[in-house]
Amino acid sequence: MGALVELRDLSVHYGDKVLVQGVSLGVEEGSVTAVMGPSGSGKSLTARVAMGYVDEGLRVATGSLRYPAHSDRDWLSGVAGGPPRAHARLRRATRVLRGGWLSYSPQAAFSALNPGRTLGRQLALSMSRRVEPPASPARELGRLLERVGLDLDAARALPSELSGGQCQRAALAVAMAPAPSLVLADEPETGLDPVLTRVVTELLLDVCKEEGCGLLLISHHDDTVERIADRVVRLGAHA
Amino acid sequence: MICEARDLHKTFVQAGTFPWSPRREVPAVRGVDLTVAPGEVVALVGQSGSGKTTLARMVLGLEEPDQGTIDLEGVRWHGLSERARQPRRVRYQYVPQDALSALDPQQTVLEHVEETLRVLVGCDRHDARARAMAMLERLGLPARANSLPRQLSGGEQRRVTLARVLALEPRLVVADEPTSGLEPDRRQAVLRDLVGNLPESAGCILVTHEMAAARAWAHRALVMLGGRVIEEVDLRRDEPTHPYAKLLFAPWDHDVPDAPLATSGCPWRHGCPLMDDALADTCARGLPALTPLSPGHGVACHFHHRSSS
Repeated sequence: MGALVELRDLSVHYGDKVLVQGVSLGVEEGSVTAVMGPSGSGKSLTARVAMGYVDEGLRVATGSLRYPAHSDRDWLSGVAGGPPRAHARLRRATRVLRGGWLSYSPQAAFSALNPGRTLGRQLALSMSRRVEPPASPARELGRLLERVGLDLDAARALPSELSGGQCQRAALAVAMAPAPSLVLADEPETGLDPVLTRVVTELLLDVCKEEGCGLLLISHHDDTVERIADRVVRLGAHA
Repeated sequence: MICEARDLHKTFVQAGTFPWSPRREVPAVRGVDLTVAPGEVVALVGQSGSGKTTLARMVLGLEEPDQGTIDLEGVRWHGLSERARQPRRVRYQYVPQDALSALDPQQTVLEHVEETLRVLVGCDRHDARARAMAMLERLGLPARANSLPRQLSGGEQRRVTLARVLALEPRLVVADEPTSGLEPDRRQAVLRDLVGNLPESAGCILVTHEMAAARAWAHRALVMLGGRVIEEVDLRRDEPTHPYAKLLFAPWDHDVPDAPLATSGCPWRHGCPLMDDALADTCARGLPALTPLSPGHGVACHFHHRSSS
């Protein structure tokens, strides 16, 4: 199994404040890495940097970021300790990866879906980011929907016509549509009841394993992480 | 009893996508009894769509039940006109799910609490301010008294909605998922502020799908499934026994059935590990009343009903 992401010794500052100090994480093909920690410990921030995105105003002080399965490049070279310009350049450079090679399964599924477009159109758009377009897009769309446990009629539905659980499944289908190698799931359990949390997390895991992609999971739930993660990165309150 | 509700039913009629689409009936609550004793915290737990919120709203008169009776503090509450309810409303208060949208973006924290006291209790300006500050101090918010809602953290916004309700010294507080949207490590503190500051011998209904919250703060939990209460349990003494309640409290330790909920009979019968051939007919016919297993612990299940009789 090759490594998908290698993030080493990351430190991020906001003004004088140190948000994250010396964090490393890695995700291997077909494996799950979980990031845990109390609120404000920089979980989302670390995961976002791993996806090649440094929010505006933040400064990376040290660190290196490689996607060995994609290229040998160190995406943070010149950015770490560099000026804001370099950070903006990184965001632009990695944009081609996000939504394609890197994918994101959002926290609040309903608000992440476009309310004015049917699910089918959103999936088609997301699928268009693939490097190798599928031979039959319609069949591929059907396969995706079936994979996440929705029926074909859902392709014609607007997000407002889906239930909470269906929206979670739909958002997962959109995340998987570009055939990504790495998926970031930011607290997929937010707002879900315990049973649905388990169902959605298991689905996420199954789909990622089946498609052979790595999963970077941000979670608060010990029992979820304990059961599905291959590696756990714990961040302290002021790591 | 602070609240005594018997056999509540509520069905919503859902319009289709277009005006000419057929309407659909969605039964939300199907025959629920709910009592809250003075000083008692009752948790309503269940999955999304199990009817928790509808039940809680009916108790406050925010929804009218189709059938059933509600008495608050021994006086009839259901089916009254708003004019008849108005003078009593101040005693029965609601903590909303989404704190930020429940607060006025242009009012400070102190003004929120003060205005509530002046309008609902009729305090004069001086008195209202003193009582509001006292309540903010109890909830650890005095430093934020002059802040606007958007300047507060999620937990602080939540505390403002609590302060506003608790300052009225209500007899019954209905909190609809008071911790949703908060970081998990901040939830306990908000619940401690709510339950710890309830007026003496007031009742509280806590709607939640955080099982840890129900365990820590409620005297009694009602487990809801498909608009019915399938188990009533004191979590400090007993463990849930209904297969659905077990799944809800420890989702990773039990199998999640693929089958959907049954629309008639016992809603859980399609995936129930306790059902055998002898019970199949009985379970398809209906749900029994809560079978008492021990004092304060009852389960609505034919399996337990059979073994106890």
